[in-house]
Amino acid sequence: MPDDPTHPTVLDIGAEQVGKTYARALLGATQAEQSTDRVIEQLSDICDNALATNPRLRAAFESPRIDANEKARVIDRVFGDVDPTLLRFMKVMAGRGRLGYLSAVRDAAVKLSDDFAGRVVAEIRTAVSLTDALRGELSSQLAAQLGREVRLREVVDTSLIGGMVIRVGDTVFDSSIASRLDKIGQAAASGFAKQLIQSSDRFSRDD
Amino acid sequence: MKFNSDEIASVLQAEIEQFDSKIDVREVGTVLEVGDGIARVYGLSGVMAGEMVEFPNGATGLAFNLEENSVGVIILGDYLTIEEGDEVKALGRLLSVPAGDAVIGRVLDPLGNPLDGKGPVQSETTRPVEIIATGVAERQPVAEPMQTGIKAIDSMTPIGRGQRELIIGDRKTGKTSIAIDAILNQKGQDVKCFYVAIGQKDSAVAGVVDVLERYGAMEYTTVIAAGASAPAPLQYVAPYAGTAMAEHFMFNGGHALIVYDDLSKQATAYRQMSLLMRRPPGREAYPGDVFYCHSRLLERSSKLNDALGGGSLTSLPIIETLEGEVSAYIPTNVISITDGQIYVQPDLFFAGVRPAMNAGISVSRVGGAAQTKAMKKVSGGLRLQLAAFRALEAFAQLGTDLDPATQAELDRGYRMVELLKQPQYQPLSVNEQVISLYAGTKGFLDDVDVKAVQAWEKDFLQFITDKHGSLLEKMNDENALSDEIVEGIESAIQEFKSARGDG
Repeated sequence: MPDDPTHPTVLDIGAEQVGKTYARALLGATQAEQSTDRVIEQLSDICDNALATNPRLRAAFESPRIDANEKARVIDRVFGDVDPTLLRFMKVMAGRGRLGYLSAVRDAAVKLSDDFAGRVVAEIRTAVSLTDALRGELSSQLAAQLGREVRLREVVDTSLIGGMVIRVGDTVFDSSIASRLDKIGQAAASGFAKQLIQSSDRFSRDD
Repeated sequence: MKFNSDEIASVLQAEIEQFDSKIDVREVGTVLEVGDGIARVYGLSGVMAGEMVEFPNGATGLAFNLEENSVGVIILGDYLTIEEGDEVKALGRLLSVPAGDAVIGRVLDPLGNPLDGKGPVQSETTRPVEIIATGVAERQPVAEPMQTGIKAIDSMTPIGRGQRELIIGDRKTGKTSIAIDAILNQKGQDVKCFYVAIGQKDSAVAGVVDVLERYGAMEYTTVIAAGASAPAPLQYVAPYAGTAMAEHFMFNGGHALIVYDDLSKQATAYRQMSLLMRRPPGREAYPGDVFYCHSRLLERSSKLNDALGGGSLTSLPIIETLEGEVSAYIPTNVISITDGQIYVQPDLFFAGVRPAMNAGISVSRVGGAAQTKAMKKVSGGLRLQLAAFRALEAFAQLGTDLDPATQAELDRGYRMVELLKQPQYQPLSVNEQVISLYAGTKGFLDDVDVKAVQAWEKDFLQFITDKHGSLLEKMNDENALSDEIVEGIESAIQEFKSARGDG
């Protein structure tokens, strides 16, 4: 089976909706047992390692032609050592033909548990990787500003040249050199065009 | 000529020195899919309906559809270089266009960018493209005439300043010509004109601009063009953008005239966008709010009360019908919104009656309030007379012998129809119209050959301007048909006729 092309930006609204619903159920079940963090960690592990590296397993999970009991048997054999709640949860998903949405459930569960815990994720984009001191200062500053606990996700992007771009939710705080240069360029171009129209002969010389 | 590089460098240096570098805080989203002038964007969770967004290629967009998981954005500009995954930035403001005297005489696209090669519009003032129209208390009734210079219209379906008069008819029946004549006639009237071309061939728009330039009308006119090759979102916003520019003059106590040519194409563009956005289709596949799309546009034409300066915005929307079908969805909608319609018909057009206005079904709901007293007097019974003539004409075609009274009525009718014909781009002043119509309705043309009526009228009006200029001046001063003026007109007619030797 050929590898699926990855489209990280493609949004499947149906999958997101299913993911949210199942994630809420999963969190509800694990909160009673206080095993939320462990279960999410194990779920992420399944998604990132087992499923991502094994397209045939993913295809089997998604396939409606494979019987739910068969899927449950596979889950027992392959993931036998995970938390029993997660194991039961995956079997329920298999029984309802939703096993293909496991990564959507993971995404939604991470987001939901962050929301419950009052955490936000801040994406930090820098030209060079952060030092530990800077990382600590950033976390505490952001936490103070946002009034919530912050989890940093670091991305190194040399095209920024310097400075830092912080993204929290849909809001971006941009102090990168690249964007500042861009702005100077625009301001200079528009200012120059204005001057040129006001007094065009100023820029010409006859010789 | 060479460029002086030192000067250029100094300007750039000044710009860089003044540059204030603050942290750029912005709300962003990611393009999920793009095509056909629209984009679906993930994120932008705080964006509001109608807010402007910016794409990395510099194109602006409008948040059009707010959905649970994504935002539908219409792209006002080049959408071919936008890619999936591009970052979209919310600008936190509404779409606005340049306004004021700087736009007069220009040919612009709906965003206010120049199309005429005369450089950017240097305007400090801008106006939001979408505003809610003024309410009842801010208005006053339409009472001032807005002369189109076309006899048939000014006499039978008079248009007032602040009125919305629809021009409706099939293709190639002279709809645009009526609107262009109305613009040409505003010369020296202190009325700013706006011609919004939507979904038309660029060659047709170029033709209109050429006519306006040739007759000196570009001095007070702005052309806003979103041609047939422009993406649907630009065609959709064009009328709102034109209205925003025109409103600047209305709210500053001036008068403006705006022509939307034509709104059926705007409705089609809106339908395209709505269907691509997956809004549910309704009748003729138009979305449910296509009525609101036109009503909120045309409501912005108004006559403001004196406390607000008494400015006015008159609009002449144009609708193209298919095979004379006025009961289609868009024509009925716009007919019901406007204050009357001028109905032009192909059979009249090809019979040589130009403007091809059907006087029987054309109306102006403002009526006589928008006419001068003199015009009201001469045109009083004109509509009924013409209606009676049409009935008689149909009857006479049966070939029966007619009594002399009926024959006389028919003859008068033929001459009136002839008199109401008017060549393109030759608007007449209201006084000239009054004098011609007076001659026709009072029977002074009955002894002129039907085929010679137009030539007679032309010579007669020339005769009046040459020999009786004082009469025109007096009519200007009095604005009504006093006995003295009537006497003056009649004696002038007699003098002219005896000079020609026809009576």
